[in-house]
Amino acid sequence: MARKSKVDTFSSGAPAGDALVWLSSLGLAVGLFMITMILAVIIWQGLTAFWPREVAEVTVRADSEFTINGAQTFSGEIVHYKTRQDYTKDNKTEVEELQLYVGNRDVYGFSFFYVDVDDIIKIEKPADIMSIEREEYGKAIARPVSLHIKGETSVSADSLEFDDRLRALMDTVAERRDEIHDIEKVEIGRINRKMESIRLSRRRMEREGHTDSEKYRKLVDADAGLQGDYETLAAEAGALRDLQFEHELEVMLLTGEVRRMPLGKLINYRYPNQLRVIDKCVAFAHNMVSFILNDPREANTEGGIFPAIFGTFVMTIFMSLLVTPFGVVSAIYLSEYAKPGLMVRMVRIAVNNLAGVPSIVFGVFGLGFFVYFVGASIDQLFFSDTLPTPTFGTGGMLWASFTLALMTVPVVIVATEEGLLAVPRGMREGGLACGASKWQCIQRIVLPAAAPGILTGMVLAMARGAGEVAPLMLVGVVKLAPTLPLNTTWPYFHFEQKFMHLGFHIYDLGFQSPDSEAAKPMVFATALLLIILVVAMNLVAIYVRERLRRKYAVSAV
Amino acid sequence: MPNATSHSRHDDRFQVSRRVLLVDYWMHRLIKVGGISVIAAVCGIFVFIFVQIIPLFQGATVSPTATVQLAPGDYRDVGVDRWSELPFVIDQNLDLHFINLAKDNDVTRITPELPDGKATSMRYNQRNQMLVYGFDDGRFCVVRLNYHETFDGNERTIGHDLVTEPAYHIGHQDHPIVDIDYAEADGRRVAAAIQSVGDSREVHLVTLKQKRSLLGAGKVMVDKRFDLSSQVIGVPAIVRAGTQADLLMVATEEGRVFYFSMQESEITLMQDFTPFGDLADTTVASMDFLFGGVSVVLSSPAGENRLYSLFVPEFGSSRLFGHTKTFPLLSGGAEVYAASQRNKSFLVGHGSELSLRYATTETVRWHKDMPFEVEHAVLSSKHDRMLLVDGADMLRIYDLDDPHPEAGVKAYFGKLWYEGSSAPKYDWQSTGASDDYEPKLSMVPLIVGTLKGTLYAMLFAVPVALLAALYTSQFLSWRMRVIVKPTMEIMASLPSVVLGFLAALWLAPIVETQMVFIILIFVVLPVIAMVFGQCWASLPMPIRKYVRSGFEFLVIGVVAAASTVVCWYLAPHVEARFCTVVDPVTNLAVSDFRLWWRQTTNTPFEQRNALVVGFVMGFAVIPIIFSIAEESLANVPPSLTSGALALGASRWQTAMRVVIPTGSAGIFSAVMIGLGRAVGETMIVLMATGNTPVMDLNAFTGMRTLSANIAVELPEAPHEGTLYRTLFLGALLLFMFTFFLNTIAEVMRQHLREKYKTV
Repeated sequence: MARKSKVDTFSSGAPAGDALVWLSSLGLAVGLFMITMILAVIIWQGLTAFWPREVAEVTVRADSEFTINGAQTFSGEIVHYKTRQDYTKDNKTEVEELQLYVGNRDVYGFSFFYVDVDDIIKIEKPADIMSIEREEYGKAIARPVSLHIKGETSVSADSLEFDDRLRALMDTVAERRDEIHDIEKVEIGRINRKMESIRLSRRRMEREGHTDSEKYRKLVDADAGLQGDYETLAAEAGALRDLQFEHELEVMLLTGEVRRMPLGKLINYRYPNQLRVIDKCVAFAHNMVSFILNDPREANTEGGIFPAIFGTFVMTIFMSLLVTPFGVVSAIYLSEYAKPGLMVRMVRIAVNNLAGVPSIVFGVFGLGFFVYFVGASIDQLFFSDTLPTPTFGTGGMLWASFTLALMTVPVVIVATEEGLLAVPRGMREGGLACGASKWQCIQRIVLPAAAPGILTGMVLAMARGAGEVAPLMLVGVVKLAPTLPLNTTWPYFHFEQKFMHLGFHIYDLGFQSPDSEAAKPMVFATALLLIILVVAMNLVAIYVRERLRRKYAVSAV
Repeated sequence: MPNATSHSRHDDRFQVSRRVLLVDYWMHRLIKVGGISVIAAVCGIFVFIFVQIIPLFQGATVSPTATVQLAPGDYRDVGVDRWSELPFVIDQNLDLHFINLAKDNDVTRITPELPDGKATSMRYNQRNQMLVYGFDDGRFCVVRLNYHETFDGNERTIGHDLVTEPAYHIGHQDHPIVDIDYAEADGRRVAAAIQSVGDSREVHLVTLKQKRSLLGAGKVMVDKRFDLSSQVIGVPAIVRAGTQADLLMVATEEGRVFYFSMQESEITLMQDFTPFGDLADTTVASMDFLFGGVSVVLSSPAGENRLYSLFVPEFGSSRLFGHTKTFPLLSGGAEVYAASQRNKSFLVGHGSELSLRYATTETVRWHKDMPFEVEHAVLSSKHDRMLLVDGADMLRIYDLDDPHPEAGVKAYFGKLWYEGSSAPKYDWQSTGASDDYEPKLSMVPLIVGTLKGTLYAMLFAVPVALLAALYTSQFLSWRMRVIVKPTMEIMASLPSVVLGFLAALWLAPIVETQMVFIILIFVVLPVIAMVFGQCWASLPMPIRKYVRSGFEFLVIGVVAAASTVVCWYLAPHVEARFCTVVDPVTNLAVSDFRLWWRQTTNTPFEQRNALVVGFVMGFAVIPIIFSIAEESLANVPPSLTSGALALGASRWQTAMRVVIPTGSAGIFSAVMIGLGRAVGETMIVLMATGNTPVMDLNAFTGMRTLSANIAVELPEAPHEGTLYRTLFLGALLLFMFTFFLNTIAEVMRQHLREKYKTV
């Protein structure tokens, strides 16, 4: 409703209350600033988490208190400069300090180190510093000394072949790591599940007293066979694992300590100060891809977040499959079948109310009803063998999806109804006049026309479901799930399992993690991913809805 | 007109196939059922949660399970094992009759090996399963009752054996002990007795100590003896040693109670008080400890029943007893007393009257006039059974079902005087370190916390959102609107977990150090905007036309950014000028807002405080209020606004006098829905506050809201326990609160729609 004040044309004096118009424009400016600021912060912080940082060699004054293990020279990635308030001097003085990610937690016992800028004599960026990503203790930042290859003389870091040899060995090690992972997680996991099912059948037969039957003996044999398979595989994995330790990389920390690290423990290495801009871009892309595709390590503070992405994805899809039919059917009922009156009015109030009920209340309901009531009953009926270990009587994917489906039903109802209402009356009347039954009319004419509305509702519900954490904390999300909810073992889709979720991952990393400072880049990166996911879905919904409105705004005339 | 030949064809043409009709019929049914079931689900949620909390407000139920006729005789006491399978009664000869309830009520009679002499007093200590006897020759003796479980296949039997400890003298030799009590805890062993010496009575106390040797626990020896007679004024009648063996209570016949504290084997008289001093008859009829050993239940012969608890009084330094609770009258003094071994319940009775009371909430859980005289009673360790011995020598066993004694309206919404606190208060602290911990389950601090978070969120969000909605709907250029509205919708979609984490890890540390800057901005920006608008309006037309109407917010954005920068540089100077205080640690003058706030207002300053929560909650609330308010303002019929403008009203006048009054219901409903969202917001509050329950509205402290409380405690709460159901009550409160707000909002909106139709 923008309208130009016509008053302006006639007099040069300001129209009454124009100053207040300016005040009201401040409201909008603040609102827009807030959203821009928050998106900017997350995008910036989230993206810089992947950008390879250069490693600085810092030397402090001889009398400085900022030394690591007594050494005045140390190295680390420059995280940022910040000011600290020093209360020991008169009035508040601000001291500028430098936060360094020094790595080498196995040696130092910490990952971050703060140095007063005044104490620093020089900061250099030597090209030969190596930054090594490891399976444990975060990164190692050190100078390579030599490569100890089993059965050969060691290769010094100065020699020309050092890099090629190291790269080649790292590749073999990485391949072997995948092999070990395959054996331990996939094959041994499969055997374990089979053994577990045999154990349960045996227990059932023992309880029923069928221990001398043919079937029972077969089970015992199968069990023994599996045990044998298991041992073979375990031995195979053990042998591979031993191979992982045969070559070692010797490095010297800038603080003087010399360490030998088996290559099997190393994941990747770089010379961060030798990287050109193009290399950095490649490393940036590589970091991002491995963040999205890898499993988490070290209490989730390192590695990737693939299980969380996958869990969120599967849960959201499953939830939307549950919620859409119910929401659409109710919306059709409300707008096509129910007679307008007090009843429909009250139902509308109820639906809108449901939309306003806090999400945690749905979580409470989900826990009490789905988990403890429905789930426990299912366990009693079908899984009494495994009791008291609950199967469905504990939080899981299924109950989380149900809970969120209940929560997002109003979203679908409201959006679908809007879509249905936008279908011009003439189209329905035309259909009915041609002799279509009511359902035929809805099915062939109204629903296709309202499809964008339904789609909008579905996407909005997915966006809401993907971003919601509070109810999930009660009905089945965990910080680390051993297996994915959808995998290659029968029955492929594991409804009852607990799962990981991006939103909960943020909460867990930021607030439950032992080293929240080290986890910060991960939290920001995860937040960025979640926001991209949710905002993208919302944009799709907004776009579809706007198109819908425009289309029927014309056709209704 | 159809002719005769086409008549049958005519019928065919209008004949609808059965299948179509059938599908239509069933789809009609299906959709109706589906629609109604979704609506039923809404009600179902409410009903389910409501059903979960009903048990919280129910009293105890007591139902008889068995009666056992005992051999005739005057029984002295009744006791029970922790499985409530093998109770015993003690007869006048001090023989124990064990009744095996699992095996046809078989009675085994056992005579404990006691020293010679007549036992003149006796007490049963259920907590440690001990019997202590006082003899007429001034000796006392402890008998330990060891119950043990043995399994024979799947069959379980409860066995028992008695271990008699050596007898020791207490007080004078050859004078009878009138009342005796014994307690042991953490290696301390204390026996206290009232002894009748001639016409007078004396109070004596003995501490025992067990020698530790290499071979394990060694011999028990008398450590110290105390004669407390001189300190007790009057005729001592009842002596009770605290269950923690750290305090001693002596009541005299005149009704005075003396409280001794035992610290490091020294006895000090701490206090004497007259519990029924305000009554005509000050006599104390009974005095017994409650579970936990820091409260005593007293009764007077008239049936007055009071609870005295240990706490440090205001301006005091040591723990003293004070009158904290008064219970309903009994028909007489409590001859029958049994304390629960699991919670703060106790059973009192006089004659045939029995009453189960819960100390913390000062309520009667169950009350009945039995058809028989109750002589002795005991409550089982699991608080699931009640065993009575009546005047006709019957052992009566009752099932006691009181799963939630600590709940109730008073516990949730009233001020309670908890053990150890100096005054009644509202408090939430659901679990404690020890078994005898008294759960504090008041909903009031949580409600206050919820309202506090909501208040600060609304203080920030409502002005911003409504101003933005007004500007967007009335003044903003059409082209910008198409961009602005989806942007605000994107803001609404931001997951609250992201907002919460930003608030806690990014914003809170910044706000903490830049408090003055933040306050400055909140004051300066609106003023600058108004002043700038005023100045701008008085500029001549040729300059003013550079900013087209509908694009003011871009200019004001630049102005606001500039003033923010100015504020940033101004803030340290303002802080130095107004907030300089002396640091108590270093004794140096420091200009620091946090310190200044703490010293001048004497209230704490926390990093994760209500201000941060309010600001970040704004992200969640502003877009909601904005969209609903904007929609209702934009839908004000154009005829009204056009009319106003045509009559010469300025655009602001039109907005204020025409648009806002017409759309006020929509604005109101927008605020209501925003309020509902703020009340129920979980993740932001959970992450951005310290989650400490508070009772104040201080902007610089955190809070614990109903929703965050559920998120914190429900995953750990045992299924169907009191805490579990209490958290459901919290959820119900949230549900009802938002239901109320949303219903108001929805009714308002429907009203508005009707109104727009008629205009």
